[in-house]
Amino acid sequence: MRQTLALFLDAYRELNAKKLFWITMFISLIVVAVYAMFGLNDRGLTFLWWTFDLPLLNTKTIPADKLYKFMFANIGIPIWLTWAATILALISTASIIPDFIAGGAIELTLSKPIGRARLFLTKFITGLLFVGLQVAVFTTACFLVIGIRGGSWEFRLFLAIPIVLVFFSYLFSVCAVLGLATRSTIASLLITILVWLVFWGVNTTDGIFILQRERTRLNLERTTRTVERGETLARRQIEKARADGTPVPGIDTPLPAGAADELEAFNALLHGARADRAKAAQSAATWQRWSGYMYAAKTVLPKTDETIRLLNRYLLTAEDLALFNPDGRRRDRDNADERADFGDPEVARRAELAVRDRSVLWVLGTSLLFEAFVLALGTIMFVRRDF
Amino acid sequence: MSLTGAADLAIDLRDVAKTYAGKVHALRGIQMRVARGEIFGLLGPNGAGKSTLVKILMTVIRPSRAEGTMLGHALGDKATLARVGYLPEHHRFPDYLTGAQVLDFYGAMANVPRPARRTRSAELLELVGMAQWSGKRIRSYSKGMRQRLGIAQALMNDPDLIVLDEPTDGVDPVGRRDIRNILQHIKDRGKTVFLNSHLLSELEMVCDRVAILVQGLVSSQGTLDELTKGRQRYEIEIAPAPAPAPGAGPEDTYRPLLPAIQAAGLAAEIEGPVLRIGTTDPHAIQPVLDDLRRAGAVLKSVRPHRPSLEDLFMQAVTDPTTGEILTPGAASDKKPARKEPGR
Repeated sequence: MRQTLALFLDAYRELNAKKLFWITMFISLIVVAVYAMFGLNDRGLTFLWWTFDLPLLNTKTIPADKLYKFMFANIGIPIWLTWAATILALISTASIIPDFIAGGAIELTLSKPIGRARLFLTKFITGLLFVGLQVAVFTTACFLVIGIRGGSWEFRLFLAIPIVLVFFSYLFSVCAVLGLATRSTIASLLITILVWLVFWGVNTTDGIFILQRERTRLNLERTTRTVERGETLARRQIEKARADGTPVPGIDTPLPAGAADELEAFNALLHGARADRAKAAQSAATWQRWSGYMYAAKTVLPKTDETIRLLNRYLLTAEDLALFNPDGRRRDRDNADERADFGDPEVARRAELAVRDRSVLWVLGTSLLFEAFVLALGTIMFVRRDF
Repeated sequence: MSLTGAADLAIDLRDVAKTYAGKVHALRGIQMRVARGEIFGLLGPNGAGKSTLVKILMTVIRPSRAEGTMLGHALGDKATLARVGYLPEHHRFPDYLTGAQVLDFYGAMANVPRPARRTRSAELLELVGMAQWSGKRIRSYSKGMRQRLGIAQALMNDPDLIVLDEPTDGVDPVGRRDIRNILQHIKDRGKTVFLNSHLLSELEMVCDRVAILVQGLVSSQGTLDELTKGRQRYEIEIAPAPAPAPGAGPEDTYRPLLPAIQAAGLAAEIEGPVLRIGTTDPHAIQPVLDDLRRAGAVLKSVRPHRPSLEDLFMQAVTDPTTGEILTPGAASDKKPARKEPGR
């Protein structure tokens, strides 16, 4: 325990000596200050003493605290902390392992009565201190802003600390092991950013595939509804014809050309609607299959995007999110008949729900398994290497 | 110094070998014994395997084969390292730390409790003459100051064995003298010092015993007296005659004495004005001195001579068959290794 505390104290002193740490902290506080300058009144959005009249975004449509939480969960965390601040954190921490194993430094540490595996893993954990302190300060400041400006003391905001830490740990595990393998800060940093882009690419592709799947499913539902309405109409017409004693094509007389059954004989649009439904079913099956493949691929990789979006699940309900989508509030989602496209709010809503349906265990568990695998690899390298 | 019982030994290496990448044999079966309470010097040419051996002792490098003990425990035992202090060659302390913080950090890593760290830190900074620099960051230290701090760091856990790799590297003569005094102070407290250095004169001044490593093998080890046994002699030098005969030199004065010296069973060798007689017994040279005086020679100096560590070193790195200096570096599968002594 004494050695672990010493390593943490050393990591803190190292951070304290880094200008980038304090620059990032300063920018974080500027971001929070700007965040606090926004507000909401009954006319629209306010910034300092200016008011921007927005009929769909004001206190009549959205409570102020929800706006702040939305901004925190969708801008503050995903854009500032998980992109900009994470890049700064990676730049700042990428040198930790290469410096640690540099000649003249590692000999001293390895000659102490501490096991190599414990040493490497403790050093890795101390590397998370940068992000831990940054996100703790940022979240506390945002908590105060939401409490004072929004009137809601939202303690669930502090979930951002473990969530962002877990997210950063996926990347830092890769960075640490690359630093160990290459001994180079620049190489480990660049390759980690590349690997991060791959994770981001897989996540984005998964998001697109989910949208496609939900769009094609919605199309299938809508074309099915159109077909069912056409069939119901045709059946009524057949019943009426029978009651009137009129011969029914396909039963009493041969089917006309192009009609598959008596229903199509009575409703000329049904044939086209059925063809549309068949196409939609085929398309839905295709995207179901592809999104399944992507799900399998994602299972073995860290889910950076979904980890961050966990915060959204705990801070805002799906209904809260819908408040920020004017189209979603205005349109009747269930009764629309037109073909769904990417911009269809119902597609976006279903995609959001699909992502939310993925269990926390799957999101965090499989990501942490990936991280454990990477760290195990690094630990074996560290334990077996001659310095 | 007696090296009989295992309890007397701080380091007892029976067979330590290291082969890099399956073909570079850095160490080829080291056998070495270091007694408790002595200052032991390790020397050898570049690439002889000295640093590899030190790093194996300190668990920085994993040996290919390791049979032996350090402070009574098997090599590689991490818990034993709590009783060992180490200063690596070209060590690098984090430059964001102050001198006192460095001692505190490495003391904590060596499992020294906090109150003891505070006390020892102050004592050691005083001992190495760095007390007034304790609050300054390392980045402002000179090489010599870093070296002094390194020695203090190695002593933080009050170790029974201190392993120092080139401790006087980059240190000025005053600093070297101070370091020698510190080593003596450590020894006086009953601790063992294992010293690896290129500076043969430094080793000669402080070491009780030395080992010479050549191409991954211990070429020789023991006290300086043991290593130079049979090679000690008396050197007699006479002043040139005031008016020598043409073509005559001091050797002409010595030459008539040679049969009598050899008849007494002593080896003799003339080199210019110097006559070397293979004995350390002062009584044995008295007849020679009498004869020289009778011959009218003026004695300039008479001194016992023991080969220096440098002489021993040069002998160890010279191929006895060809008389050439052995190729520096470790033995590899491509480069023929020197024949192992005694094998």
